[in-house]
Amino acid sequence: MNLWQAFKMAFKSISMKKTRSFLTMLGIIIGVASVVIMVSVVQGQNKKNMEYFEKMGDNKINVSAYSYYDTNNETSEKLYDYCLSMSDLVLGITPDAEIDQKMTIQYGAKTLSVNDWDSMGGGGSVDWEKMMHVKLGSDQYGVCNNYQLAGGREMSYLDVEKTNAVCVLGAGAKEALFDYTDPVGESITINGQPFLVVGWYESMAVDYWPELDNIIVLPYTFNRTLNNNNTINSYVVKAKSASATVEAMTKLDAYLAGLFPKNAEGWSDRGDYYVQSDNSWAQNLQSQNLMQSLVLGAIAGISLLVGGIGIMNIMLVTVTERTREIGIRKAIGAERKSIITQFLIEAAVICSIGGVIGIGIGCVGTLIAGKLLLDEAMMLPGTGITVGAFLFSVVLGIIFGMYPAIKASGLQPVVALRAD
Amino acid sequence: MLIDIRDLYKIYNEGKESEVRALDGVSLQIDKGEFVAIVGQSGSGKSTLMNVLGCLDIPTYGEYYLDGTDVTSLSDKELARIRNREIGFIFQGYNLIQELDALENVTLPLIYRGVSVFDREDMAMEALARVGMEDRAHHRPSEMSGGQQQRVAIARAIATRPPIIMADEPTGALDSKTGRHVLEILRELYREGTTILLITHDDSIAATARRVVRLSDGKVIADHPQEVDWE
Repeated sequence: MNLWQAFKMAFKSISMKKTRSFLTMLGIIIGVASVVIMVSVVQGQNKKNMEYFEKMGDNKINVSAYSYYDTNNETSEKLYDYCLSMSDLVLGITPDAEIDQKMTIQYGAKTLSVNDWDSMGGGGSVDWEKMMHVKLGSDQYGVCNNYQLAGGREMSYLDVEKTNAVCVLGAGAKEALFDYTDPVGESITINGQPFLVVGWYESMAVDYWPELDNIIVLPYTFNRTLNNNNTINSYVVKAKSASATVEAMTKLDAYLAGLFPKNAEGWSDRGDYYVQSDNSWAQNLQSQNLMQSLVLGAIAGISLLVGGIGIMNIMLVTVTERTREIGIRKAIGAERKSIITQFLIEAAVICSIGGVIGIGIGCVGTLIAGKLLLDEAMMLPGTGITVGAFLFSVVLGIIFGMYPAIKASGLQPVVALRAD
Repeated sequence: MLIDIRDLYKIYNEGKESEVRALDGVSLQIDKGEFVAIVGQSGSGKSTLMNVLGCLDIPTYGEYYLDGTDVTSLSDKELARIRNREIGFIFQGYNLIQELDALENVTLPLIYRGVSVFDREDMAMEALARVGMEDRAHHRPSEMSGGQQQRVAIARAIATRPPIIMADEPTGALDSKTGRHVLEILRELYREGTTILLITHDDSIAATARRVVRLSDGKVIADHPQEVDWE
């Protein structure tokens, strides 16, 4: 008997017993599809998280220092000066402060209210996505926070020093005030005071954080007049590289420890501080992702195992119940090899069809889950997990489809014929 | 001598309390072209004898020469070849494969024999025609009566034109009319020179054979030729 005959026999047997074939496939379909969907969704979530941090920029250090006795931003001045002294390690430094006073911003007929909690109808109905944020920064605000200029220029060192009334707009603020026209050279007013728009940023395009775009950046020297001269105690330092980040963080840590010496109990009565970088957040996130992947891998492994046992069962049962058929085939002269070949091909064909259907359902399921859970238009499963789940199910199906056939074909024909 | 067995034993659970001697020292010689009925009550060992003679089972002890070949020394592959080419089986329960139609069932031994795709359908149809089943070639076993299924099973047994036909209670599940028809086919094969072994518990069926071997408790208790009138 040649291979072609064995193939024809296998197809015949599959098509004659549709219910049995379908049930056999079902285990594989469910196993493959569920693993593909589950793994894809978690991988998609991880990818989205990483995307946000990539947009936020690497090598970014957040520094905060709170002095208990500071009345005139002395600590801030010192910290700022110290950061400027590390010019060999850092690309830029900017205060990271937001004006929390109530403001009215106008351009022509358009008006934006900022921090006007009453008119926003209270906390319950605040549209966070449309809220504007007026930031106080240096000429390096864009560099430090990873904004790219879309047009115009950043504010200059002189703008900051001389408290020039200029501003740079985020993409959201630009759209709210100017639609699609060029804002550069136009004047907006903040609480009646005119500010010249010198530049605007590209959108950060991070889905969950539209407020990254809803910003208006002013020279931080406006803190005095516009922000009640509140203490500025947060800074963003952009380091030149990952290793420079570590070095700058160590230096900042040591410097601030010197400003706020600890007492015998291990805390400082002068103030508090922290130095943190997105690098460490990203590292945390990465290890969290790894953790998730491991947990997921375990779950996927268990579902594959359960699915595998299902495949195993149905294959064992369906082939075992055909022991009599194997006996008949032997009685009329089938060699053992012919029978094993036939069952091998049957199992391989059934499992492969099931596997392909499983992958199809997995892809559709991943698309739907991506749209519903992660708001991704076209999310598809990764190749690795798809191929892995497919191979695992098919190999398992073949092994457990083959095993009873090997056993039954080794029986004396009369024993196999007696089975029923 | 076509079939030559000497001191054949088939013992189940040997040495235990539940030991059963299905064949207890059987010796038997059958020549080419004989029509032999092996008769006995149920449990006499006649089916076991056929299974051993047909290479469907192996004896516990004893010698078995088929056409001069020592069968007990053959490999699984060689036994498959003997079952395929030398012996055609007819079972009481037909043993057709339910998923295949009549023609496919009859073609199966030809496939295992390696007959080319061009010849085997003709050969299978010829075999079906001999038992008068050519018009049912594409019916499945479930769409046929018992008599029709048994005729398809006979067609399968003769498709490879084996020199020996072994029939185990071939009429056991049939009414007397269809049973007579099946016996008529066996007689015709006998006239053409095929060696026939007919296993039955029914003396009236055995009356159709030229020689009767009677078994009881795994032993041959009688072996004699008989005159038959086949009108």
